[in-house]
Amino acid sequence: MAAADSPSAALRRRDLCSRGIRLAGKMRSDVVDLLDTYVERQGLDASASVAAVEGVPAAAVERWDEQTGTQRLLENLAAYRAFRVLLSQMLEEHREQLGEADAALGRAMASVLLQVSAFAYHLEELLRLESRGPPSEEGAPPPPAPHLGLFERKLRGLGVLRELAQWAVRSARDLRQLTKPSPGSSSVPSRAESP
Amino acid sequence: MFSGWNWVAHGLYLLLNFCSLEVSGGLVQSCGHIIPESPVLALGSNFTALCILNESCLDFGNIYANQIIWKIKNRVVPKEQYREINRTVSSVTFNDTSSLATPLTCNILADGQIEQNIYGIAVTIGLPPEKPKNLSCIVHQVLKLTYPMTCTWNPGRHTFLDTHFRLKYRWPQENFPDCIPKDVNNSCTIPDVQFFVNLEVWVEAANALGKAESDPLVLDPIEIVKPLPPHNLSVNSGILPTVLKLAWENRISGALMKLKFNIRYRTIGDTNWMQVPPEDTASPRTSFSVQGLRPYTEYVFSIRCMKEDGVGYWSDWSEEKTGVTTEDKPSKGPPIWRIIDASRSPAFWTVHLMWKALEPFEANGIILQYEVTVRAKSSPSSPPEKYDVNTTNLTLKLPNGTYEVTLIARNRVGASPPSVLLIPATNSKAPVKNVRTLPKDGKLWVGWTAPNSYVLKYVIEWCLVSNSSDCIIEWQNEPGNVQGTYLKGDIKPFKCYLITVYSLYADGQGSGQSVKAYLQQDRPSKGPTVQTKKVGKAEAVLTWNHLTVDEQNGFIRSYTIFYKTVDGNETAVTVDPSKTEYTLSSLTSDTLYTVRMMAYTDEGGRSGPDFTFTTQKFGKGEIEAIVVPVCLAFLLIVLLGVLFCFNKRDLIKKHIWPIVPDPSKSNIAQWSPQVPAKHNFSSKDQMYPEGSFTDVSVVEIEADDKKSFSEQDLKPFDLLKKEKSTSEGHSSGIGGSSCMSSPRQSVSDSDEGETAQNTSSTVQYSTVVLNGYRDQTPVQVFSRSESTQPLLDSEERSEDHSGGADSTSQRQQYFKQNGGQDETNTDRPCFERTKQITPTNEGDLVGFAQLQISGQSSQLLGLGLQKNTQEAALPDVLQTSIEGQTVRPETVEGNPPSVDEMPKSYLPQTVRQGGYMPQ
Repeated sequence: MAAADSPSAALRRRDLCSRGIRLAGKMRSDVVDLLDTYVERQGLDASASVAAVEGVPAAAVERWDEQTGTQRLLENLAAYRAFRVLLSQMLEEHREQLGEADAALGRAMASVLLQVSAFAYHLEELLRLESRGPPSEEGAPPPPAPHLGLFERKLRGLGVLRELAQWAVRSARDLRQLTKPSPGSSSVPSRAESP
Repeated sequence: MFSGWNWVAHGLYLLLNFCSLEVSGGLVQSCGHIIPESPVLALGSNFTALCILNESCLDFGNIYANQIIWKIKNRVVPKEQYREINRTVSSVTFNDTSSLATPLTCNILADGQIEQNIYGIAVTIGLPPEKPKNLSCIVHQVLKLTYPMTCTWNPGRHTFLDTHFRLKYRWPQENFPDCIPKDVNNSCTIPDVQFFVNLEVWVEAANALGKAESDPLVLDPIEIVKPLPPHNLSVNSGILPTVLKLAWENRISGALMKLKFNIRYRTIGDTNWMQVPPEDTASPRTSFSVQGLRPYTEYVFSIRCMKEDGVGYWSDWSEEKTGVTTEDKPSKGPPIWRIIDASRSPAFWTVHLMWKALEPFEANGIILQYEVTVRAKSSPSSPPEKYDVNTTNLTLKLPNGTYEVTLIARNRVGASPPSVLLIPATNSKAPVKNVRTLPKDGKLWVGWTAPNSYVLKYVIEWCLVSNSSDCIIEWQNEPGNVQGTYLKGDIKPFKCYLITVYSLYADGQGSGQSVKAYLQQDRPSKGPTVQTKKVGKAEAVLTWNHLTVDEQNGFIRSYTIFYKTVDGNETAVTVDPSKTEYTLSSLTSDTLYTVRMMAYTDEGGRSGPDFTFTTQKFGKGEIEAIVVPVCLAFLLIVLLGVLFCFNKRDLIKKHIWPIVPDPSKSNIAQWSPQVPAKHNFSSKDQMYPEGSFTDVSVVEIEADDKKSFSEQDLKPFDLLKKEKSTSEGHSSGIGGSSCMSSPRQSVSDSDEGETAQNTSSTVQYSTVVLNGYRDQTPVQVFSRSESTQPLLDSEERSEDHSGGADSTSQRQQYFKQNGGQDETNTDRPCFERTKQITPTNEGDLVGFAQLQISGQSSQLLGLGLQKNTQEAALPDVLQTSIEGQTVRPETVEGNPPSVDEMPKSYLPQTVRQGGYMPQ
């Protein structure tokens, strides 16, 4: 907290939040574009219903406004770490499937993956400013890639991108919430402490 | 033994050669090698190389390290740089690698004579890379979702080595693959970057001599974005005639970047852009309404964008789009002016109304027509006359009076405010003063001093003054609060403009004040043609014509007259430009002068053609002063001569035309006994009355020694002849003898010249022509006698006696004038005159014979007889002449004897010794 109290830390936090918000916004924009491309290239129906992706925390949450800042950061970090793993798996599967045939889709997925990584970095930096430090990724091992069929993998990828888009919206709101003065934010116990 | 060693040495040589082949071909082991192998050295550093000989080679030929020679290319390295480390190793050291070159070879002297290469290395010299500087990056948006980042840097000095640059970047938690430049060493482009995360960027340069890294650049790529400009720009006119609405599309996501904009616009044909205030477009948007535009005007718009907070780069300007505002009613009335022509009729004016079309920004649309209203101020009750005109002028014929002309321009939206002009202008109002001009920036500025009273507006009239065209008036209006303006029109340089400024008031007008001006002056296009009007002895009046206004090209400031003689210096005289005549003075008389003339403007002068003239030799009146007196003197002399001649006319007459005696009156004519009946003296006397003869006979006598006897000397003979002519009793014997031979001839020979006939038969008489004188019919013509027959025997004797031989050498001519005796002496006795003969008494000459006689002899001659004395007779003659002064001849005038009684000697003379004795 001492670091958070210093003017430079506050500026750093404000900067991280600000850019995190814009990154989330761009990530959402790009994911939405990627979703359209993905549906088109994978031959899927945009209105297809997809089950919740395993290993990804749901963006929707009850009593969202009652969450503390750290709690928000930890939930976001967990989600984006999961997305990073999932998107990496999708990118690998895409390369295996199409090679360099659909490079544009692969570049778009790689770009989103980078943004997810960047956003996770933002979250980790914010958590450091909160004097909490980011939780170790080892505490949240990536879910093993299920052995799915090709179509199922496509649907799963569609589910991942949809959930990512929703998380991008939620993350922007979370960070905006963090920029507001919230005296009780640090009193909320962090989920990161309990693996 | 010796041959055996020799054989060994030869074998060693072959071995060394073989070893060399191994070095070059790598087939066999070398006898040594150099350490280090192919080094890369920093320029300017020191370097040491070792040449290590193989032990195997030592055994063959006693080769040791002290025999090693180092070479750079073919140049031997000085031995001071060698160092024998041991028997197989030699080193060479270079303090500065700049002296190195490739190859560096290790050589050995075999047998102390033969140099053989052992090994060689290639040396590479260069520099380590410098730290790259000035690293900067920019993210260009090339597509909606593609943001490559290009970084540039300064690679530093040339290293002479293969140096690799790498652009490295990373996130704090993630590294990215390096960006390796292609074909360049100072920039690299990362294909896609992610925003909102700080990116650390740096450049690494590396070559064989080292590695260097630039300072890292930490940035969020979103801060260095140069976005694509907005596209699909559209311009739409709004309801208001001064507003256009712009709309566009942004090509960068609002989630990524919030934008601000710049909007610029200009009218068609204008090159200068105007810009919407940036604060009005500092927020994200996709449309904007531009206000404050001119109605019915076509505008060009363009837009650009950048990150809202100003961090980053402006995009390029978008494509240009045009839009036209809607029409509005004209904002002002057209400027109007008039030309009043009162010359055609005293009661009516021809008024040329003219106005200027409104500028587009004033017309605010298409002017459909003009409405002109003319209202007579003198009769307000009369209705105004209205004219609808489509052109910009109107000619009216109005009775003399005061009128108010109102002009309105009308377009589709409405009418302009009226323009009012009073006709005629009563020039009683205060005019402007001090009208002046000034060329400025290629235009002609006109300034004036405003009157004290309030001026509604000014009208500036101008026209080009030219000989070849009329003065076509152009004009312009200026508001009343200005005191100068530029002429709006095509003002040409080198042309003269007449500019007039009028001050217009609400109720009248001031008189126009004019000035002439040039936008730009030049030298005159030609010089004045000078010629002389009058040339004198020392002065010449030159005259010339002014240059025409088209030739002047500027204000003629002065004339300069240059004149010179053929070999003299040129003299210049400056003349006032208003003059057309000048008098050159102090010229040299009778000299050829060349004169030319230059006209000067402010920009220089030009000379006219040369003109030559010659000054006169005499001044005015000099010739008259000489000629007139000369003429007068001549006339006076002539007059005096005439008067003298007139006064002495008789003397001259007698002198020039001596009296030739009329032979018909001679006594011998009457005396001839053979034809007495025929001799009709009376009839002859009637025919030739005495004194009526004026015919002149000239007797010339040529003699060796000429001497004219004075008339005094001849007077006695005249008297004698007269007496003989008038008295028949005095007949000459000679005449008688003459008549005896031939009456007619006797007439001729009976003259006093019969003495000549007596002299010799060869005497030739001159032709005596008796022309009619004073309307008298000539009686006879006497031709030269060709007769050689003596007239008389006595005469022949006489001639013989008197020495008539002289007639062969002399020729005598006689001129006779009958009746020419001096009247004053007619009464005088002949003898008395004879006494008075003196050679000097010429003034008393009354004789009619002119006598020339040779010698100094003076001889008494009777009846005009001229006798040429011969040499033999000369003493007698001299004696006679000496004594002749006192000779008093005996006269016979007392009683003239009859013919029969006439003695042969008709002239009694007192003869002394040797004297002439007439028979």
